[in-house]
This record gives sequence, C-alpha cells and structure tokens, in this order.
Amino acid sequence: MAEKTAVPTNPASANFSGLPVIGLLTLLSLPLAVMYAYLFIDTISNSQGGSLVPSEFTLEHWRFLWETRPGKPNIWLVTLNTVIFTCCITAVTLTVSSMAGYVLSRLNVPARGFFLAGVMVLHAFPSVTLIIAIFIVLQYLGLYNSLIGVILVKAAIDLPLGIWLMKGFYDTVPWEIEMAGVVDGASRFTVWRRLVLPQIKPAVMALGLFSFLSGWSEFILPQVLAPGARVQVLSVYLAGLIADDNNFDFGTFKAVGVFYVVPVLILYAFFQKHLMNIYGGGTKG
Amino acid sequence: MKTSRMLGLVMIAPAAIIILLFFLMPVILTAVFAMTNMSTATGISAGAYQVTQAAVNRLKTDMPELAAGISEPRFVIDEDGLTQLDALKLKPGFTAELRASHLGEVFLSRREAERMIKSLKERPSTREVKQISDVFNRSVMNTRFEDRAALMESLAKLGFKLSPQDEEKVSRATYTGWIWTADNFRTIANSQDMGQILLNTGFYVAVTLLLFNVGYALLLAVTTHYMPASTASVFRAIWLLPRITPVVIYVLMWKWLTWDNGFISLFMGLFGHPPKNYLLDSAGSAWFFVILINGFIGASMGMLVFSSAIKAIPQTHFYASEVDGANRWQQIRYIILPQLRWPILFVTCYQTLSLLASFNEILLSTRGGPGRSTEVWSLAAYHTALQNYTGNLEYGLGAAMALVLVVVGVILSLIYLRVFRYDTLVTKPLIED
Repeated sequence: MAEKTAVPTNPASANFSGLPVIGLLTLLSLPLAVMYAYLFIDTISNSQGGSLVPSEFTLEHWRFLWETRPGKPNIWLVTLNTVIFTCCITAVTLTVSSMAGYVLSRLNVPARGFFLAGVMVLHAFPSVTLIIAIFIVLQYLGLYNSLIGVILVKAAIDLPLGIWLMKGFYDTVPWEIEMAGVVDGASRFTVWRRLVLPQIKPAVMALGLFSFLSGWSEFILPQVLAPGARVQVLSVYLAGLIADDNNFDFGTFKAVGVFYVVPVLILYAFFQKHLMNIYGGGTKG
Repeated sequence: MKTSRMLGLVMIAPAAIIILLFFLMPVILTAVFAMTNMSTATGISAGAYQVTQAAVNRLKTDMPELAAGISEPRFVIDEDGLTQLDALKLKPGFTAELRASHLGEVFLSRREAERMIKSLKERPSTREVKQISDVFNRSVMNTRFEDRAALMESLAKLGFKLSPQDEEKVSRATYTGWIWTADNFRTIANSQDMGQILLNTGFYVAVTLLLFNVGYALLLAVTTHYMPASTASVFRAIWLLPRITPVVIYVLMWKWLTWDNGFISLFMGLFGHPPKNYLLDSAGSAWFFVILINGFIGASMGMLVFSSAIKAIPQTHFYASEVDGANRWQQIRYIILPQLRWPILFVTCYQTLSLLASFNEILLSTRGGPGRSTEVWSLAAYHTALQNYTGNLEYGLGAAMALVLVVVGVILSLIYLRVFRYDTLVTKPLIED
C-alpha cells in the first residue's frame, strides 16, 4: 500500500492530472455509497411515502432489541449463538492451522508434498458444492441442527486457506532462530511454541481476524445445517425476517442488519491493511 | 529424525482428521449419493417394505393378477384371528369348529369367507357372521415390514405363491428405502430444464467474469494507480466493502435499491416512471442486477491482485514513457497490461471456480426468478436437494448435479495447482534432527 511519495500529488504520472479518474470512480462508487448511507439512515428515521428525504427521527425500528417477535427466537439468544459460532470457528482454525502450517513449513513428515498439494487444491476447490453431501453426513452423525456440527464443517472448509497462509508466514521466519533453539537443547515443540510462534504474531492476528469475519458472515452453511430456532445465528435470523412476506418492513430489516454488521465494520476500519493482504491472496467469493 | 517425524504427525493430525471428515469425505460421498435415488420419500437410512397403492400400481404392468390380489383383502383362518374371536365372547362352538376344520384356509373374498362361516354348525346370526369374518380380514396393504423376509412370509400366509423372480419384483416395487441407480445422470442428460440452466450458468459466469471480476477490477486497479495514494486507498476500501459485508445484508441493500418502493423506483418517479420491482420485473433486469450484485463482490479480489502487480512495476518505466510523450492509454497498453498477464490468468481461474459454485447471492436476491430465468447450476442443485416447494427433496439428483461441479472443481483446481508455482513451494526442511 505504501506508495513512493516523491511526487506527492500523483505518484504515477507527471504529465496527467488525477482528477478525471477520481471523478469517474466517484461516479461509479455512488451506488455503493447510497446503499450504505441509507442502510444507516433508514434505521433511525421514517420518511413520507414517495420521498427519499427522512422526515422524522424514530427508534421504532430498533424495537426488536427488547421485543421478541412471535415465531422468532430472541435476538440475544441469536447473538449469543453467533458469538459462540464465530469464536469457536476462529479458535479451531487458528489452533489447527498454526500447527499444521508449521509442520508443512518446517518438519520432515512422510507425504509432506502430498499434504501441500492437497491443501492447495482444496484451497481453490469450491466447497459450497459439498453442502448436499455434508447435510446428509451430519444427519447420519446426529450433528444436524447443532452448533457443533456446523462449526466443524465451517472450520474444515476454512482450514486449507488457514494452513496455506500460516505455512507462507512460517516460511518467512529465519531458520537461525530455530537452529539456535535446537542447539541449546530445546525440543522442536518448545522451539515452535516459544520461539517461532511469537515471530508470526501478525499472521495469527490476520488469520484470526479473517476467520472471525468469515464466520460472522457465513450464511448458507448455518441456513442448511442448523436452521433450528435454538441454534440460529444472526445471518439466518435476518434472512428469515426478510423472507417472511407478511411483515415487509425495510426499517426493521435494516436495523437488524446494522446490529449485525457493526462488529464487522469496526474490525474492518481498524484492521483494513491486514485484511487487504488476505483478500488479495485469493479467497472464495 | 524420529522425534521430528512424530511431532510432525501429531501436530498435523487434527488438521488431517477435520479435513478428511468434513471436506474430503463429502467430496467422495457426493459421488456416492449421486448414484442413489435418495430423497425425502426414501429417507437416508435403510428403508422398509411397504405395499402402498403406488407400489401396487408399479406391479400392475408386470403382474396384473398379483397386483389385483394384493390390493384386495383376503380372509385367513389363523391362530391370531381365533384368539381374537375368543375375546369377542361369542358362542365357543365357533372357535372350536373353525380351529378343527378350517385352520389355515384362505378365502379370496369376503363373500366366500362368509359363506363358509354361515355354514358353521351353530348357525351364527348375520351380525355374528360379520363380526367373525372381520377378525380374519387380512391384508398387506399399507403395512410396514422391516425386512424382505417378513413381507414374503406375510404374502405366503395370504396364499400368494411367488417364484423367486416374482419375489424379486415384488420386493423391488414395495421397497421404500433408497436404491443404487444411474437415473440421476440420465435425468440430467435428457432434461430440457438442465440445458437451459447450463446456458444460464455459462452466461452468468462468462459475463460476470469478463465485465467485473476481470474487467472492472482492471479498471479499478488502473484508475487507483493514477491517483494520489490516500485517495486510492479510500476507493480500495470502498470497493472492498461488498466483500466484507455479510452477504445477507449486502443483498438486503440491493433489494432495497431495486424494490418497487425503493431507491430506483422513487428516483425514476421524479421523471414520471411508475414504480416497479426492478429486480424481478423481467428476466433481463433480473440478470442485470444479479450480475451487478456478484460483480461488485468479485471486483475486489482482482482489484487487489492487479494493484499489487502494478505496484511491482518499477516507477522508472512510467517516468521514461512520459518523457517520451506516451499518453495514458499507451502506458496502460504497453507497460501495465503486459505485466498483468499472469495475475489475470490467476484471477480468471480462481473466480471461474467460485462463480460456478457460489449461489448465495442469487438465492437471496432473485431465488432464481422471475420464473426460473436466473437459475444457475449450483442454485438448481441446492433447490433440488435442499429447498423446493414440492416438499420432496431429491438428495440423489441434487448430489449428481453437485457432482458435475465437484468434477469441474477438481479438474480446474488441479490445473491451477500445476500452473501456479507449486514446485517452488516444496523446499526441503533444513533441520533434520
């Protein structure tokens, strides 16, 4: 991201002004800006029919926070489920891929090349296509409609990317650190735990952030594998609200949406750079 | 050497187990399920044998007599019936005589059975005849048998004599569980709908890829390149938003934009156009928005990949070209694009796969509508196997449709693996203890 700032106004060109391209992109970005602006405006205001300008301030769209709608689970239960779901996925992905990534980067295990190739193929593989088989497998295992089942599935799907990233980060840690540890008589495990892991803290952070966001946003897996009221997560809850044709009320949908999206936006605002690195490296979507 | 191996295996085991169970096994099972006719009706565990009306209809063509016989009740004088008869507390002579001279007899209709009962020595009244015949009324219709032997035994008791071939036919017609079959693939190959869906998919992937995942991403990368760094990062942040935003909210915002009371309708209202639902108004507008919705998400990956590739071009190239009087188009054509050949190939490979497989956005926005005009392959598989309005979820057919994608996915990701620097990644570990 860091551009050379030798020519402060426009690093790429001395002959041309940047203004036309800025104008063009601003125009192209307008739909997004409008959608996001109204996402927030509509949750705290009402407007007269047929007008885009809000006419009054109101909190009625936020009623869902203290009133449970008939036939829908309590929003706080749903939020708790989402937090559990997301945190477990993050924990599993981080622990498992930081171990496996180290093995693939540094240790001499049988079939290492095979593992590596496997991880890379799976990383590119479109995992949504497996959802039908996974649905049936979870029914056999008795994990259908349980958080644990969908957590394991989501973690498994995120793992190849996680292992791949961690392996890449371990590769950048100098061998000398480990050599020194091994020469001083530490076991390989201790070396990993005490010497190498602290070196890749930024990577752990980035992957943790990524898993958290991907878990928080996940829709289709919980929708298919755990749709029950007791294990519902926010994405499924919101999709259920929107699909309910009898109470079509964009104000409330957007209020729930903002409630759901705010943690994501906060994390994004603070850790944008970490995320750009991962998303640039090729993720699903 | 040994300790490092052990440690390596222990540390990689959790990853291997989780991926094996919830990632690789589903890949294989997709192929397995594709060879079955599993559905809500058959269930997913082993089935039972049940003579339903549908089963009788299936038998009618091959064995009309048997089908007719099975669907009518028969009357069998057996121990069960005799015990029940005792419980009715009629004259004890009935039971005794039936047991003595009629045990094991089978009557093909109520009339025949009642004729026999009327001729009993103790002369039952008409009401009693009816009561007695009722206890011996036997039918296999709609009875559930856990296994084949139980069904055959019941049929034999009712006096049906079946050859082994007939038994095979009957058991196949009455089995309620799933069976192995290749019909799914025949359905896919022969159905008109599937052809249309295939066309839809091709259109959707090609257009989205060309216009947005590569085209628009290039535009974003190149234009942000010609901006001051701070402005560029603002635009990159804005265009990464669709990817960061959870898909449910993202699509909700588009729904609001295109809804008949939403932004576009209100805006067009200013120019006198009546409000309408722009998302579901016609197939054309549905496609337009489906591609926009997916394209806005897809553009961000290409944008980041291309941006970093452009950044790797030495600044001196640009300076030199400007001294020589090159215009912007020439800079793009002769400096930037040649550098982007591999990144473009990479993004195309990657995004083809994810566009083929992902149906989240279409499911949430148009659900494949209006009609089935925006139904793509992966969404059709989902609709077939996991959510449809007829209520019979056809897991087998859905898995067969998914299998097509899985095979394409495996092939493309293997190509991807060969093309992109795999061998450089497998360097030998340096410490061998």
